[in-house]
Amino acid sequence: MSEKLLLECENLCVGYGPALVDEVSFSLSCGEVVALMGENGSGKSTLLKTFCGIVPPLGGNVRVCGESLENWNLRERAHHIALVRMSVESPARMTVQEFVSLGRSPYSGMLDSRSVEDDAIVQKSMELLDVESFAKRPLAELSDGERSRVYLAEAVAQQVDVLLLDEPNAFLDIPRSRALFRMLRNLVENRNMGIVVSTHSIEYAESYCDRIMVVNKGRARIAPAKNARAEGLFDWAEA
Amino acid sequence: MSKVTGQGSPFLRNHRISICFAVLFTAIVVCCLLTLVTGKVSFGLADLLNALAEPGGEDVSHRIFWNLRVPRVVAAVLAGSALAVSGLSLQTVFRNPLCGPFVLGISSGASLGVAIALLAGMGFGHFGVLGAASVGAFAVTLVIMAIASCFTRSSVLLVAGLLFGYFIDALVSVIMAGSEAENLQVYVAWGMGSFGRLTIDSVYLFAGAVAVGLALVAGSIRYLNAARMGDDFARGLGVNVSVARKCVLLGSSILAGAATAFCGPVAFIGIAVPHLAYMLFKTTNHRVLIPGSACCGALLALVAGLFPVSVPLNAVLSVVGVPIILYVMLRGSKERV
Repeated sequence: MSEKLLLECENLCVGYGPALVDEVSFSLSCGEVVALMGENGSGKSTLLKTFCGIVPPLGGNVRVCGESLENWNLRERAHHIALVRMSVESPARMTVQEFVSLGRSPYSGMLDSRSVEDDAIVQKSMELLDVESFAKRPLAELSDGERSRVYLAEAVAQQVDVLLLDEPNAFLDIPRSRALFRMLRNLVENRNMGIVVSTHSIEYAESYCDRIMVVNKGRARIAPAKNARAEGLFDWAEA
Repeated sequence: MSKVTGQGSPFLRNHRISICFAVLFTAIVVCCLLTLVTGKVSFGLADLLNALAEPGGEDVSHRIFWNLRVPRVVAAVLAGSALAVSGLSLQTVFRNPLCGPFVLGISSGASLGVAIALLAGMGFGHFGVLGAASVGAFAVTLVIMAIASCFTRSSVLLVAGLLFGYFIDALVSVIMAGSEAENLQVYVAWGMGSFGRLTIDSVYLFAGAVAVGLALVAGSIRYLNAARMGDDFARGLGVNVSVARKCVLLGSSILAGAATAFCGPVAFIGIAVPHLAYMLFKTTNHRVLIPGSACCGALLALVAGLFPVSVPLNAVLSVVGVPIILYVMLRGSKERV
């Protein structure tokens, strides 16, 4: 794991008015997968949205690849950080290939054209996530497992440094969840990226992630995955 | 635009799209020629070439050609493409397959302008019906833009637009209730829609308004392509959603407003044609759908314009438009619209 810091924040305060989570100090290194855990409504999704700039922070700031998010325009942000949400509605008629190709949108011109290089990146992303066999099928017709891979392929095509995933295994069975987390490990190791993944599964967090961050009662605590249980990070789940 | 025709672009790679465009373009040219030569006074090919060769000719056939037939073709092509692109953009922004220029009250705004001019006796001077319709459509556009600034969610904006449309329709009804029978007749005739009202002097004005509307929509293609996945998703791809949405709304309003001002409230093209374009081109990429819808809209308008003038344009378009919408709805019950 390299020490290059991809995502940093200090004393970050997030929420929509009243603070949901306060004083979050966190850094994500290249090649690292961090699990984000906590009860429903604890602020996991809001924290992820604040990391990528969709929700402005109430206090503190977020730095991506050493640069404050505020110093970048939306398109520059999209070159470095992406949030993947599985709960997004799949529009009728849009095919898998068309959707994965949207990942190249931050690099396109005003008329949203795609170069030969863009098409090659889209193709490689589909191959990496093993979705090219159903590239022409409509997104709305896919199973949950297939769709989660397609959503990841789109984010991979975006070629970001930091990937944020909001409950990617929410709709997946055990084998597909395992395959997904293995894929995340594969991505950070081969693509020089860092991943923060929110999940409700302690087992996958401990098995596949390097560190675990728990958001509980407005505070965020973080520990290496192997020490998380001993340090009492899961006490909220057992109450 | 160099990348558009470059290797790997959908235009060259996807034969289906190229063939569809070629067929549509050919059909449009044929319908344009048919519109030019058919009517109460029949034109032969020689007359057509003669009129084209001498634009300043003073004889009757020249005048019929340049003052009646050419504006009619231009009106059909511009109104058809403008309404289709406006409908496509609105359906995408609101993620609602039954959205169209009428839904946001833009066409109602034009109707209100005309109702005020014709029925309430405020003549708008030499502006006439056309000016009144433009003012009405533009006023509604401004209100919609103001509403768009207040609501960040597209679905709330859609409801607000619908309510505003009802409000304007109610105002029109109130004006109609207190008007004289003769004026009412003129208003009802305007409401039936026609491509025959455009004069040769107004062609440039109409074309200019459509060009501005198309440019605003085309400049927001990145947003339109991502918008179906939701505003947050589009933001995540680096799209400035609030600016892009305003550009699309303004562009769609200008397109629908101009078409209504020059041709009356022409129904159905805005709702039906985007679905036709989806079915033909089988893509959700607006780089294809915008020109595709424009071509389909122009063709449908030209075909409807070929029917005898005595049959109201809106009646012809509805007869064509309703089966298309029903077909899409029936398909939707099988594959989620």
